[in-house]
Amino acid sequence: MASTPAVPIGEQLKQLQAARKLALENSAYYDRIVKGVLPVIGPTSSIELKRWGAEFLAESLATPVLSMRDKESLTLSVLDTLKSLLEGEQDDAIVLKASIAAAASAYPVVFRWIIHNSYHTEAWEQISAIKSRILRIWDGAPAPVRLSCIKFAQRVVLAQTTSNGQEAKYGGLDISLGMVPANHPLLDPRLMEAEATGLLDRMLGVLQDNSSDALLVDATLNCLSILIRTRPSTSNRIINCVLNFNPLKLANSPMTPKNKVLMKSMEKTTRMLMINILKRDPNNQHGGRIQQYVERLMRSRAEIFDEAGRKRQLADQAAAQYGDLKRQKMEGAVTAAPGPAAPVQPVVIPPLASGPQTLAAVFTLTDNPGLQAFDATNIPANLVAKIVARTLNTLDQNVLDFAVNGVRSRLHILQAAVVTAAAQYAAQGAAVQPAALNPATAPLGVEEDDDDYEPNLDAAEDTEQILNKLDNAPPETALDEYADPNAALGLGPFTLPPPPLIDADVASKLSSVAASRVFGPLSSLLTEGPGKKAKAGINRLAALSYDRDSWLTVVTRLATRSTFGLEEQQQPAVKAEEGGAVSRPPLASTFNNATREMLFTYILEDWRPRIEVAVAWLSEEWYNDQLTKRMGVQNAPLHYETWALRLLDGFMTFITAQDKVLTRFLAEIPELSRELLGRLKTLCGDPNTLGLAMTSLLYLVMMRPPVRELALDTVGRIWVEYEEARPLAAKYLSKWRPGWVEQQMQLQAAQAVAGGGNGAAIAA
Amino acid sequence: MDTINGNAASASAAPAAPAQQNGHREDPGGFKLKFCTVCASNQNRSMEGHLRLALANYPVISFGTGSLVRLPGPTITQPNVYKFNETSYDSIYRELEAKDPRLYRANGLLNMLGRNRNIKWGPERWQDWQVGMPRVKKETDKGFEGMEGGVADIVITCEERCWDAVIDDLLNRGSPLNRAVHVINIDIKDNHEEASVGGRAMVDLADSLNKVAKEEREKVGAAAFDSGSGAGRASFDERVPEVIGEWQERWPNLPATWTLAWF
Repeated sequence: MASTPAVPIGEQLKQLQAARKLALENSAYYDRIVKGVLPVIGPTSSIELKRWGAEFLAESLATPVLSMRDKESLTLSVLDTLKSLLEGEQDDAIVLKASIAAAASAYPVVFRWIIHNSYHTEAWEQISAIKSRILRIWDGAPAPVRLSCIKFAQRVVLAQTTSNGQEAKYGGLDISLGMVPANHPLLDPRLMEAEATGLLDRMLGVLQDNSSDALLVDATLNCLSILIRTRPSTSNRIINCVLNFNPLKLANSPMTPKNKVLMKSMEKTTRMLMINILKRDPNNQHGGRIQQYVERLMRSRAEIFDEAGRKRQLADQAAAQYGDLKRQKMEGAVTAAPGPAAPVQPVVIPPLASGPQTLAAVFTLTDNPGLQAFDATNIPANLVAKIVARTLNTLDQNVLDFAVNGVRSRLHILQAAVVTAAAQYAAQGAAVQPAALNPATAPLGVEEDDDDYEPNLDAAEDTEQILNKLDNAPPETALDEYADPNAALGLGPFTLPPPPLIDADVASKLSSVAASRVFGPLSSLLTEGPGKKAKAGINRLAALSYDRDSWLTVVTRLATRSTFGLEEQQQPAVKAEEGGAVSRPPLASTFNNATREMLFTYILEDWRPRIEVAVAWLSEEWYNDQLTKRMGVQNAPLHYETWALRLLDGFMTFITAQDKVLTRFLAEIPELSRELLGRLKTLCGDPNTLGLAMTSLLYLVMMRPPVRELALDTVGRIWVEYEEARPLAAKYLSKWRPGWVEQQMQLQAAQAVAGGGNGAAIAA
Repeated sequence: MDTINGNAASASAAPAAPAQQNGHREDPGGFKLKFCTVCASNQNRSMEGHLRLALANYPVISFGTGSLVRLPGPTITQPNVYKFNETSYDSIYRELEAKDPRLYRANGLLNMLGRNRNIKWGPERWQDWQVGMPRVKKETDKGFEGMEGGVADIVITCEERCWDAVIDDLLNRGSPLNRAVHVINIDIKDNHEEASVGGRAMVDLADSLNKVAKEEREKVGAAAFDSGSGAGRASFDERVPEVIGEWQERWPNLPATWTLAWF
C-alpha cells in the first residue's frame, strides 16, 4: 500500500478502490485497510488521492457495520491524518467537506474514549485542535464545507449536552454530557455545556438572520430534530428560534425558478421539522404554537403558490366519492356496541306458530288481533311516509334493534325449518359445505407498524390478506361432485339457452341503439375549463380523465377502429348482392357506420366550435385507412375520403364569409384530394364567400407544400370557370405559376378564334 | 419527438451523451452521482426510474415507503398485498399469473413485474434500509456498479407523501452518518404512462445534476476556493436548487420539491 511516485495516480486509485471493496465485503479488514491507506493520503499526496482518502475516512468512520469498540481504535488511529488534511488543505472544498464529515463522526467516539480513558490527553488535544480548526474555517468557507461545519457543530452540541435518553443507541448519537463524571480531569461539564450553547447559537444564527440561503437553512433545520427530542436543554431555544423564522421571506423578491425552489424548500423543510416534533411529542409545551405556526405557513404558501386550492378540491372530491372512511368506522363501532345499561324491553315478540307463514305474519310483532287485521295498504303513501319518518325519529334505538333482531330470528327459524326439511330429502352422507375460511391459510403474520403513512391500516388489512390468500388457494371442490345425483335437491347440468339469431335488420337496429348510447354522456359531460388546458404535446394521453374531450376521443376511435379487419370479409358478399333489391352495408360495420353517422350529425349540429372534433375524427379515419391499406386486403372499404367530402359538403351549406374555420379545417385534415378541393368551387359562385375560398386555397399553397400543385390546379379551374373570381385567382396564379394565365388567355383566344371561324363558316 | 415537455432537456442538459431512443447509452465514465428512487410500493414509478437511471449508467437503488406493497386487484377494495423485503418480484409475478393472467396482463401488472424481476430481487422498504450498510452482495441488480457503499447522493421520490415519509424518517434516524443528501420530490401520477414520462424526467434531472457535480470535481486547487464569487465558484450543493429550477421549467407538469437532509 505504500505510495510510490512511479505508480500513476489512476492506477493507485484503482488499487485503493479494490481495497475499499475488500473492507466493504468484510468489515474485519477495515482496521487494517484504513491504517494501510493513511500514508497514501497524507498531506503531501496529490489532490485526487487526498479527495479519495478524505471520503474513504468519512465513510469508514460512519459505517454502521463496526461496533463502538472497533470504531474507537479506528478513530484514534486516523486523528493525525485528519488533522493534517484539515490544516494542510486550505484549497480544496471536497477534501475539507469530507474531512469535516469524518471529524463529525470521530468527535463523539473520541469524546467517549476520553471519558473512560482520561490519561489519554494526546487524543483529546488532537480532537480539540481539529475542532478549533473547523470552527475557525466555518465562516467564509465555500458552501459544501459550511454544510459539513454545521453538521460537525451539531455533533459537538449533541455530545456536550445532557441527554434525556430517548435517542437511538447507534452511530454515537447516545454519547452525551451525562456520561462525564463530575471530577473528570480533562472534561469540565460546565465548560463543555457552555461551549455547546455557544455552538448552538452559532448554528441557529442562519435562522435568526432569516437567511435566504436555502442550502444552509435546510441543512440546519434537518439536523435539529434529534437535539429538540433528546437534549432538553436545547429544545426551548431551538423551537423559539424556528418559530421566529420566516421561510417565505423570498416571496417579495422576483419569482425566478430558482427562488421558487428555494422558498418551497425552506417552507416545506421547516414545516416537516415542526410536524415531526409534534408527532414525536404531542404533549410538547409548545404544541399550540407549533400548530399555529404550521397552519400559518401552509396558508401563506397557498397564497403564494396558489396551488393548495386545487389539491383541496381533489381531496373533497375523493371524500364525496368514497365517503369519510374513518367516520363510517366509528359509527359502525358505536352501533355494534350498545350501551351497557340497556333499558328493559317493553316489546314482547311472540314466537311464530308452526306451519306455513305469510310474509306479513313474519313481520307482525303485535298480538293485538285488531291491529293484526288492519290492512296498512289502505293508508295513502304520503301519509305513511310522514308517519314512518316521525316514528323513526323518536323511536328508541334499542327498541328498534330488538324488533329487528326479533324478525331476524324468526327468519332464521323458518330457514332452519326449510333446511331440515330439505335435509330429510337429501341422501345420507351428503357433503357438508366446506368452511368458507380455512383457518390454516388465514394467518399471514403481518404485524402492525406505527408508521402513519397509511392512516387506516387496521384489522381490515387482515381480511384483505386472507381474501388474497383465498383467491390463490386451489378452487374449492364443487358441491355437486359429492352430492348424490339421485338426491331430490341435486341440480342437473345447466346450459344457457342459445342466443337468438340476429338478422341484418335487427343488427342494424341494435347497432344504432348502441351508437346512440355511446353519444349519451356527451351532453352531460363538462368541457374542461379554458384555463386548465395544459399542452402535453406527444405526451398527451388519448383519454385520461372523464371529460368531454376524452370521451370524444373514445367515440372517434369506436367509430373508426372497433371493427377493424372485420369489414373486408363482408365486402364480396355485398358486391354479390348488389344486383338484388336491397344493397345493405356489411353486418360488421353497421355499428361503425351508425356511430359515424351520429358523429357526423353531432359535428354539424354546431360545426364551428366542433371543427376540432371533425379534424380529430378524420385523422383517425385516415390512420385507419392507412392500416387497412397496409394489410393489403382487396376491396377493403376506405372511409376517409367519403366522410371528408360529406363533412365539407355539410359545412358548405352553412358557410359565411367570416368562417375562417374552413381554412383551418382544410389545413389540418390529414389528406386533401382533387375532388375535395373541387368542392370549394361552389363557394366561388357567391361573391361573399369567394374571398374565403381563395384565401383557404392560398393558405394551402403557402403552408402545405405537398398539396401546393393540387391547390393551384383548383385555383386554375376556378379561374377558368368563374368569371368573377378571375382577378383574385389571376393574382395568385401570377405569383405561383407565372405565365399560366397568359397561356390560358391565348388558349381561350385561339378557341374563340376557332369557334368564330366555325361560326363564320356556317354563316357563310 | 416530444416537443412540449422535455425536448429542450435532452438538448441542453446532456449535449455530450444524448439519450438514445431505448435509454441505452454509452458510458462516458468519470464521476457519477449515486441515486436512490423512492415511491410507495417500489413497483412502478421508482422502478421505472431505477431502470432508466441504470440504463443511463448511474449507480442507483430504489425503495418504497408504504407499509406494504400494494398492487391493484380485481376490484378497488381487493388489492393484492405483499410484504416488503420478503417477497420477490418473481414470486408476485407467478402468483398473479396463476390468479388471473388475463386481468393482470391487461392492466399491465405482469408486464411491470416482468420488468422489475430483471432489475432486482424484490421490493425494499425505505424505513428498513440501513443507510451505509455495504451492498456488496447485489451484483445482479441493475445500477449496482458504484452503489457498494450503500449510500446515495440524491434521493428522488415520486410523490409528495413519499418525500414526507423520507424526510420524517431521516429526522427520526437522527443523521448518524453525517452525510449530506439532496432529497428531491417529483410528483408523478401512479400509472404506467406517467411513470414512463417521469422516468425520462428523472434521467434529465440526473444528467443536469451530474454535469454540475462533475464540473466541481474537475476544478482543482486554488480555482475552487478563493476565486471570487459568481457561478464559476459555486459548488455542486449550491447549484442544485438552480438546476432544479431550470429542470422545472422544462418539465412544468412534474412539480418538484427539494431539501438538503442528512443520512
